Parts: sequence; structure tokens; C-alpha cells
Amino acid sequence: MSPTASPNGNGIRSQRSADDLGGLIAQERLPSGRADLPEPLIPKSQRERILMAMADSCATKGYGATTIGDIVEPAGVSRATFYELFRDKEDCFHAAMELSLADAMGRIVAVYSPDKPWAATVRDVAAAFLDLLASRPAFARMALVEAPASGDRGYELYASGKRVLQALLDRGRDDPMEEQGIPTSAGRAALAAAESLIVGQILAGNAERLRELLPDVVYITTVPYLGQDEALRQSREAEKALRAEG
Amino acid sequence: MIARSQRERALAAAIAVVGEKGFAATTVADLTREAGISRTTFYEMFDDKEACFLAAYDDAVDRLVRAVSAAYDAAEGPWPERARAGLAAMLAALAADPEPARMALVDVGAAGPAAQRRYRAAVQRLTPLFDEGRDFAPGGRDLPANTSRMAIGGVAGLIADELLEGRAKELPKLLPDVLFATLTPYIGPQAAAEEVARISGATPEMEA
Repeated sequence: MSPTASPNGNGIRSQRSADDLGGLIAQERLPSGRADLPEPLIPKSQRERILMAMADSCATKGYGATTIGDIVEPAGVSRATFYELFRDKEDCFHAAMELSLADAMGRIVAVYSPDKPWAATVRDVAAAFLDLLASRPAFARMALVEAPASGDRGYELYASGKRVLQALLDRGRDDPMEEQGIPTSAGRAALAAAESLIVGQILAGNAERLRELLPDVVYITTVPYLGQDEALRQSREAEKALRAEG
Repeated sequence: MIARSQRERALAAAIAVVGEKGFAATTVADLTREAGISRTTFYEMFDDKEACFLAAYDDAVDRLVRAVSAAYDAAEGPWPERARAGLAAMLAALAADPEPARMALVDVGAAGPAAQRRYRAAVQRLTPLFDEGRDFAPGGRDLPANTSRMAIGGVAGLIADELLEGRAKELPKLLPDVLFATLTPYIGPQAAAEEVARISGATPEMEA
């Protein structure tokens, strides 16, 4: 599952007119990034406990099969409290997705700089994104597996986050080392390829080891624009950095 | 028309009803009505709606994977040419019968963890078609470990985008794009573009 353009085709918009990351995020009407969420996520309110329980239930039984009982029990709140805070299960799911997106955008904003070379940006964003997913496996699964299939608003939230990543990636086209015959779909295929690897790892229950995928992700997302030799070099550097970290 | 078995009718019903209403909203009653079978018969064959959906899905995927593998194995020439044959067969099959594919891409996500793992496993059955790229590529052994899995994911992603945009009938036109997405991870974008142009005689849509 890797839609990048919304049904109304506004996926193009973001890569053309926005010239900085804040602009991209604002254009998608995403919640502005939150860099203040603790790790591990410690819920500070009933609302956050409910959102975490929603993510956990999505991870174990899927969004479709999740009931309000699956959420309120582990969250330690009453049904009445749930309905004071959320209209229904879907409303709660969308709130959990919005929290995930704010978290993700916060991580990306933290490593982004307009002066950084494109390849370094791709590497740093990929690393930040993998770390975030690894630290919140239930949310990772909800955002990348459940949301795309959850219907209009859930899908749209997923797609808007993905358009920000796509727009960052597509900037590689501005300064390609190899430029002949690269189809317009190349960036979309590259992002879908990385996403598919990440989702496979999450579904296999290996979310905590997502960081190990960094060399693969760096290679596949840069190869269309940098060419094979340079993409392999970038990938090996990422691998070296991983090893140095231990 | 040949009278189909109750099982076949139930599987066809799962594809039709889930395609129309989505997995979450589909009930066993919908399936028995559409298939013209009793509830008792349904539960003799399947544990629940998910089991019926998964059986229908496995069936559809199996046909698709067999069609792709057959075209790939039958084609002659070096890897890019055979990969092209396999991909062309896949796009043609999906264009002719898009409902199972849409179901695989959209509803499997909604049908819960078991269905999702099944989708991954099915897609990865196409690995041999991609893995040969490693032998074909001059520097194939130096490529990242997950190159084939990612290449498959890229192709699946491009196809999913078309299906979600309602362009199933036009999938065959996607051949240059999916071929490029298949070849690039193994031989790089320049060589991939040359191969696509050479084999297809057509070029993917270019950036202006």
C-alpha cells in the first residue's frame, strides 16, 4: 500500500511551491511538529492514555476489530470519559494519527536544515524516522499499516505525511547527477520501496530493529537521482555510522 | 454457465461484497445472500468472514503469481527482457481483473494482522523474478541485502497508486515505469533508462 497522491491530485502542489520544510508541513495542514514527546512515551493525560491504547489495540487485533472496550480497559478510563473526549472510535483513531504525525514532523524538523546537502538530508531524515518508528512500534504499525486502509480521513492523514517525505525526496531531482531518462514516477517508486521494507519489518515484529535498515533505505531512496555508485557510497557511509554507534 | 460449487460462490461473493462495502462493513449475512448459500453451509466451510475473505484472496493471488511466473519463465533473453515479460503479464492480468488486486491492496490492510502478513508473503513470492537482477548486475553482490524486497515494494507501490486513482484499465501503460523501478536498484538509473528505451521502444513519462 503506497498511495502518494490524494484522489484530488494535490500531491504535486507540495513539491512545487513550498521552499522550506515548515511550508511543506503547513501546506498539508498537518499539526506542527512536536519535539516534546518523551521517549518512551509516557502518557500525561487520560487522552494520551486512550490514544496509546488505541495504537496498541490496532497493533494486536487491527483497527477494524478494535472495540471501545479494547481501548478504555487498558487506558484505565470509563466509557463515559472516552465519549467526553471522542465522538467515537473513528474520531479517536484520527486523533491518534494526528499525534503520530505531529511526532514524526517534529523529528524531521529537528534534523532538517535548508543548507544541508540533499543526500545528507535524506540520510538524516531516514535515520530520524526509523528511530521514531522503532521507539513507538504500536504507533508505527497504526500509522503505516492501519491508517492507509482505514477510510477517507485516516488515509488522508497518512497520505499527507507521506507527501511531505515525497516532497523532500523529489528535491533530489533539482540537482541530479544523472539526468537522462529518469521517469517522473522514480521518486514515488523509491519511497514505496523503502516503505515496503519498513512495513515488512514492522509486520514481522521486528520494529525495534528498524534502525538496521538505514543503509538499505538510504540506497533505494537516493539511487534514482545520485546514480548507483554514489548511492552505494552513501549507503556504506550510513552503515559505517551505524557500526560506530554500536 | 457452469454451476459453481458453493465454495466458489462464497469466494466470489467475498470479492464482490468486500469490494463494494469494504471489509469492516461486510457481514456474513452479506456473503451468504450474495452467494445464495445458507448460514450453516457458510460456517461449515469457513470459521468467519475473515477466513472466507482470506481464502478468496489467496485464490486470486495464486492465479496472479502463476501468470507472472509463467510469462517470466517462458520469455527468452537476458534478465531485463524476461522481467519485462513478467511485469507485462502482471499488469495485463490486473487490468483485466482489478477487483482482487484492489482488495489485496486496500482491504487486506483493513482485514487485520493475519491478512496483512499474507499480503507480504504473496508479494514476496515474486522474489525470484527480481533476485536474478543481482546475478545480472555487474556489482550485484555489493548491493544492500534487501534490494529485491525493496524493488518489489516499489513496483507494488506504483501499481497501488494507479488502482487507488481508479486507473486499473490503464495499468499496461505503466510498463516502462515499473520496468524502470525494477531495473534501477540493480543496475542504476542510467542503465535502467537505456534498457527501458531499448526493450520497450517506449520511454516513461519524462520530467519536463
